[in-house]
Order: sequence, then structure tokens, then C-alpha cells
Amino acid sequence: MPAEVPSAVRPEWTRTADGTPVLALRGRLDATSTARLWRELEERFQREPVAGLEIDAGGLDYCDGSGMGLLHHLSKGRMTPGAKVNLRDLKPEFDTLFRSYAAAESQAPPAPVERGHGAEEIGRGCLALRADLRAEVTFLGALAGGFATNLVRVRPMRWREVWRVFELAGVNALPIVSLISLLVGLIIAFESAQPLAMFGAQIFIANMIGLIMVRELGPLMTAILLAGRSGSAFAAEIGTMKVNEELNALETMGLDPVRFLVVQRIMAGILLTPLLTLYSMFMGVLGGVLVMLALGFPLTAVYHQMASSVEVSDVLVGLLKGLVFGVIVSAVGCLRGLQTQQGPSAVGESTTRAVVSGILLIILADALFSAVLYVID
Amino acid sequence: MSACPETVIEVKNLRVGYDGRLILKDVSFQVRRGEVFVILGGSGCGKSTLLKHLIGLHTPMAGEVWIEGDNLVEADGDDRLRILRKFGVMYQSGALFGSMTVIENVRLPLDEFTELPAEAKDLVALAKLQQVGLAAAAHQMPAELSGGMQKRAAIARAMALDPDILFLDEPGAGLDPVTSAGLDALIRELAGSFGITLVVVTHELPSIYAIADRVIMLDARTKTIIAEGRPDQLRDHSSDAWVRQFFNRQAGAPAESSPTN
Repeated sequence: MPAEVPSAVRPEWTRTADGTPVLALRGRLDATSTARLWRELEERFQREPVAGLEIDAGGLDYCDGSGMGLLHHLSKGRMTPGAKVNLRDLKPEFDTLFRSYAAAESQAPPAPVERGHGAEEIGRGCLALRADLRAEVTFLGALAGGFATNLVRVRPMRWREVWRVFELAGVNALPIVSLISLLVGLIIAFESAQPLAMFGAQIFIANMIGLIMVRELGPLMTAILLAGRSGSAFAAEIGTMKVNEELNALETMGLDPVRFLVVQRIMAGILLTPLLTLYSMFMGVLGGVLVMLALGFPLTAVYHQMASSVEVSDVLVGLLKGLVFGVIVSAVGCLRGLQTQQGPSAVGESTTRAVVSGILLIILADALFSAVLYVID
Repeated sequence: MSACPETVIEVKNLRVGYDGRLILKDVSFQVRRGEVFVILGGSGCGKSTLLKHLIGLHTPMAGEVWIEGDNLVEADGDDRLRILRKFGVMYQSGALFGSMTVIENVRLPLDEFTELPAEAKDLVALAKLQQVGLAAAAHQMPAELSGGMQKRAAIARAMALDPDILFLDEPGAGLDPVTSAGLDALIRELAGSFGITLVVVTHELPSIYAIADRVIMLDARTKTIIAEGRPDQLRDHSSDAWVRQFFNRQAGAPAESSPTN
């Protein structure tokens, strides 16, 4: 609690000739003393309701905004419903301040209702979803246009930007892709070693690791890492550019932001994801092989077992998935960046949306792949 | 105002810089109660840096900043908080919290530092907004306001706890002349009707003439105060060619700073 101010307000109660209570305020009415007095008065008027009240403010030497708030509140009779309240002798230097309270209340609009009805919220959500789908389709169109312009060389592709993104999102991701893929390979091999040992089938770990890493987990792990690492970075980078009006600057210079910023990132994504996927497949298989070696199988046996089950077509399927996932991650990252709103949390929101929708779309695409490949096979 | 107004801010031999690079030296001045005191100077002379040292955001290399008898530079803990409560600051961009409505922004200091009942806080916050002419925009989000309105709202927030001193960083920057003149009128009213001492950093000449009781002028080459006084005095009678050039808005390289007689 703040220390007692020696000159804090001193309320004194008297009565007029006709019995109306008179509250005389002397001294200093600041935020601390006002808070105390406010509560005291509320309790008093609840205990002893009054029919009339006279406030003598002539003794106030100092009255800040909160003190003035109390005088206004009292003078409007809000603490003493039904009573006639009269405020008198307020020093002229407080006049402007006092009048601003009445004016403020007359001008302020009522506080808006915070939330709508549940059904209204659902409706809003559906409309937002529709708008989002529409934005995605428009974006795809703009993207196709941008690629066409760049690739048929109406305007040359900015390859330097492509390589910069390639290095940032691809080369710099190698350590984390190595670690995660190796560990995932290792974990799967270890987890399956025990149940397979019951059937004397541990050698088939090689088949399983080969297929699962090459067809499924290699592309998927790479894409998820890419969504977390680079999709978010694209959204944040383009989002910040939007907040800083750099995108407006591009547009007024006659440069299409999609062609100028997005195409390069997607091109980098197309180039780097298959390579990164291939690398991830290799590291995952390596993890499995290490476990097999530790279990006592010779390397040649593991190799032959793996080569008998994994075919070139499996690797190609994995690479194709990687390519599609790469396009999804970089396109969604860029789209969310372009959709960034105004305000301090806007860039954070777009980054989150980039990662969430990136991962969602990757899984959807993967499911689609599985279904189509099942039918084809 | 009495014949010898009380000093509320006293800066003694302030020396300011970052990473060993000196920006300002030998800065000493006094601000009196109830006046509008303007810190001005060309771009890059250290105006905003000086302000950041006056409000305790940065620690100077040497020197003292006394605010109503307390040295802000050496204060810490509760002492420092007590000194910080004596002033409010309006930042150049307004620095309103974007996730809160305008009135919530103004209420925030009241919520954090007073024991007032909720209805009292609403009433005070609304009155502060009224004093800057923004009561009608109380429930809007900062992003929905124009630049000038955001600055007004920021002034209302700075005034929420009724500080004795207000620091304003470039109030007119980026505003149209009408809005800027409106802010100037508000600044004069705050000093006149509410007795607040205002320290304003700006380089906008029309504003300086409209609001300033006294100015100090900083200079990037000498890295210190090169002029102090009333703006019209400095414009017409300064012995320094660069000061006259500044006040008369003449282009060209800064004139020699040495006194010309």
C-alpha cells in the first residue's frame, strides 16, 4: 500500500438547517485518497441512504483526474439514487477539468457488444472459410501467371533470390534433417526389433525401414520440418514486408509481388525439397542399418534384403511426394505472408497459420497419394 | 505564475553516447513548472536520444537528471518507480497497445497503479480521452484511428495518472498541418488549463512558434546545446549563424557555429 500522504483528503460531515447532510472535502484528492474515500462513501450511503446531499468542495487544494471523477460521480447522484445532490464552491481552476467529465459521458458511444450469437459465429467462420478458399484459388492463378512470365522470360527470373532461399531453406536445414531422419530410422528399427524377434523375423526390419523411409517418412518428415522452418520464415518475411508497406511499394512500381517474391521461393522449394527428401531417405535408412548392424546382421545381408524390397519406382514416388510437398509448403507460407493484416500480432498470426495449414495440406496430399497409388498398384 | 517559477527538471552536465561513441556532451538545462519546453535541432543531432535519457530509458555516460528533486540516473527499485510516476511519455508512433481498445489503453495505468473502483477508472479514462478530444473513439481499436488520433490517445494514456510532467516525442511528425495545429493547441491547453509541464522534442518550426515558452537547440557538430531562449528571440537575435539559418528555414550546409559579431 502506498504511504499515507499527510495532506490526504479529510471528509467532514455536518448538516444544514433543514437536516440535509453536508460533506465538506478539505485537502488533497488524489488517486490514493480518492480510492479510499470512494469506498467509504459507497458503504456509508448503502448503510444510511440520504434524501439529499450537499458537497462543499471549497476546501480542496488539489484534485486530480480520479478525484474529479468522484465529484462527478457524486454530483450525478450515482451513489445516492433518488437524492438531490448539490456540489458547491469548487475552485475555478478545477472548472475545465470538471466540465470535461460531463462532456466525455455525453460524447462517448456505448461500449460495443463483444461477441455475437453462437450461430452468428459459425456463420462468420463459414464465410471466412469461403473467403480463404477463394483467396487460395486466386493465389494459384496469380502464381501460374507469375511462373509463366518468369519462365517464358518476359521478365527474367531473379535466380540470385532463388539461390539465396535455396541456401537458407535447404542447405542450412541439412543438420536438423540429418538428426531427425537418423533418429526416426533408429527408433523405428529398435521398436520393431523386439516384436519381430518373437517370430525370428528381425531381418525384415531392413525391408520395413527401406519402404517406410523411402515411400513415406522421408518425404513427410522433410516436408514437416520445412513447414516449421521455412514456411513460417516465408510468411514472416513477406508479412513484415506487407506491414512495412514494402509490398505496396512493389505494386506502385508496377511489380507484381507474386512474381517478384513468391515465384522465387516456390522455385527454390521445388528445387530443394526433392534433394532434401533424398537426403532424409538416406539418413533414415542409415539409422535402421546401424541398428541392424548392432543386432549382429552383416552389412551385405541387410543390403540384399533392402534391395529386394525397395525398387526405383518407390524412390521416384518418394521424390514426387517431396516435390509436391515442397510446392505446398512454400506456396502456403507465401500466401499466408501476403494475407497478413495490420497490427503487432499480425505477423505472428500469419506464421502460425502458415505452419498449421502447411502441415494440414501435406497430410491431406499424402493421404491422396496413398489412395491413388493403391488404386494404380 | 509566480515571479520565480519552480524548477521541475534539472539536467546537469549530461554526457550521452552508445558503445563509446559520443552523441552529446555538456548538456545542462532547467525546465520550470508549467512551461512548454522544446528540445530542437536538425535531424540526427540527438534530440530523441536526449529524451530517452531524460525519461530513464537509457543511462547516460555521465551527468545527472533531477526530476522534482530526485536524481533519476541513480534511482533504482521503488525510488525509480516513484519518479517514473511523476511523468508521462508520448512516443513518436503513439505506441498504443494494438490488442486493446483506446479506452483500455488509457485505463491500463489506472488498473495497474490505483485502487480505484472499476467505474471510477472508466470515468477517469473517458475524461482523459475527452480532454484530448477523443471520447467518441473510446471503444475503437488503435489500428482504426488516424495517426493524429493515435497520438492524442497516447497523450491521454500518458496523462492517465495525472503526472506533473509530460514528455512528447515529435508530436507533429507525419501529420497534416491542421491536425498538427490541433495538437499544438492541445499542448498549450494542457500547460494552460491543467498546469502540466511539457517537454517536447520536435523540429517543426510552425509548432515551435505556436507552443514553446523556451527552447534549447542541439547541434550535431558541437554535440551540445548551442542556443537557449524564446524561439522568436533566437530567430531574430541569435549570434549563431546556424541557429538563424534553422529558424529562418534556409537550405544549405550548416553555417559555421562560431559566434559572428
